[in-house]
Amino acid sequence: MDQGTDRHGTLEERERIGGRGDAEGPSWSLGAQDVARVAVFAALVAVLGLPGSFSVLGAVPITAQTFGVMLAGAVLGPRLGALSIVVFLALTAAGLPLLAGGRGGLGAFVGPSAGYMLGWILGAFAVGLIVHASPRKPSALRVALASILGGILVIYAVGVPVQSLVTRLPLGQTALASLVFLPGDLLKAALTTAVVSTLLRAYPRAFRRTWQPARRPSGRPAAAHAPR
Amino acid sequence: MLTLHRPGSGPWHRLPAGRKSVLLMMLVLGLCLLPTSRTSAAITAIVCAACFAVPGVGLRELLRQLCAARWILGVTAAGQLLFLGPEEALANTVRVAATVALCGLLALTTPVSTLLEALERALRPLALLRLDHRRAALVLTVALSTLPVLAGLARQVREAQRARGGGHSLRRFALPFLVLALKHADALGDALAARGVR
Repeated sequence: MDQGTDRHGTLEERERIGGRGDAEGPSWSLGAQDVARVAVFAALVAVLGLPGSFSVLGAVPITAQTFGVMLAGAVLGPRLGALSIVVFLALTAAGLPLLAGGRGGLGAFVGPSAGYMLGWILGAFAVGLIVHASPRKPSALRVALASILGGILVIYAVGVPVQSLVTRLPLGQTALASLVFLPGDLLKAALTTAVVSTLLRAYPRAFRRTWQPARRPSGRPAAAHAPR
Repeated sequence: MLTLHRPGSGPWHRLPAGRKSVLLMMLVLGLCLLPTSRTSAAITAIVCAACFAVPGVGLRELLRQLCAARWILGVTAAGQLLFLGPEEALANTVRVAATVALCGLLALTTPVSTLLEALERALRPLALLRLDHRRAALVLTVALSTLPVLAGLARQVREAQRARGGGHSLRRFALPFLVLALKHADALGDALAARGVR
């Protein structure tokens, strides 16, 4: 296969050449494009947490990492989005200081924030599931819903019980304490909605799939590529 | 490349990565089973300090670990003091600090490449589930080498914004950075395909 065709080929060609796993391998094997996209999003989540990046609320190290989690799910879809978070966490566990405030190593996975990081995996999956749920182009509302349900609710649902377990603070009070982070997360959900909506218009190739056009008032949708 | 690893030749450095992980995890599990009390806080603190007070690591390193985790510890202590008594707050915070620091020993005394190799070995039984551990190792390696590239892209975008007089806004940074990252992913995928990755 030569690189030129792959580069300029149609979407279908790209899919066939490097995109999805082939039928003979394990059912969810990764093609070259998948490997690259998973690796790049794992690195993206890491870069969003590097020192010198952004603090939304003063000195408290609230980084944009959950923003990266929401983006990974929304752009890559449930399976690859969740996988990219797994890769990010594996690199962190292997000792790279990639978490907010330069933390990393296995220690982060036994600390109070362990559950939140496991929640990221499910969160990215949920975001991807909602954004990619229908063959039509997702509306801003759907992206917002995905970011709030998947990117906040799912993550807290896993994170708060684990935090309560680790710190031995009762569940209700842990939940109350975790509300401190809610404003920042809502900001990130709003940001995800804005960015993904713009990306859908400005760089639709990012999603590596064709969307059916939105339903017309006349009823029948126009002819479109079949969804993947 | 920044890592948590500090080279050395102490006993922790000489222990093989797999055995060291198992040992540390068992130690952490043991400490977590202690009840919440002043005595267990003392035991935990002593065990933790003893693990650091060996040649090649040192107590100064323990302080650095705790310093790195200060936000987590601060939030934990504050929540505990607010809702539980001072004794529980002390015991629970000490336990959390000790477990985080002990697990930090692994990254501190083992190079990332060694840990990734150990991880690949640990994933090998997954072949029974028809998962390809070599593909998993490839994704990890590619992600590792993509980190500096994306960090460079992020710096470029931020510098371009500063040159135009823009501030430190995540909103304006996100979209160009995302598009650059996605374009890099396309090129990277092509490069992998050209090298025979299917």
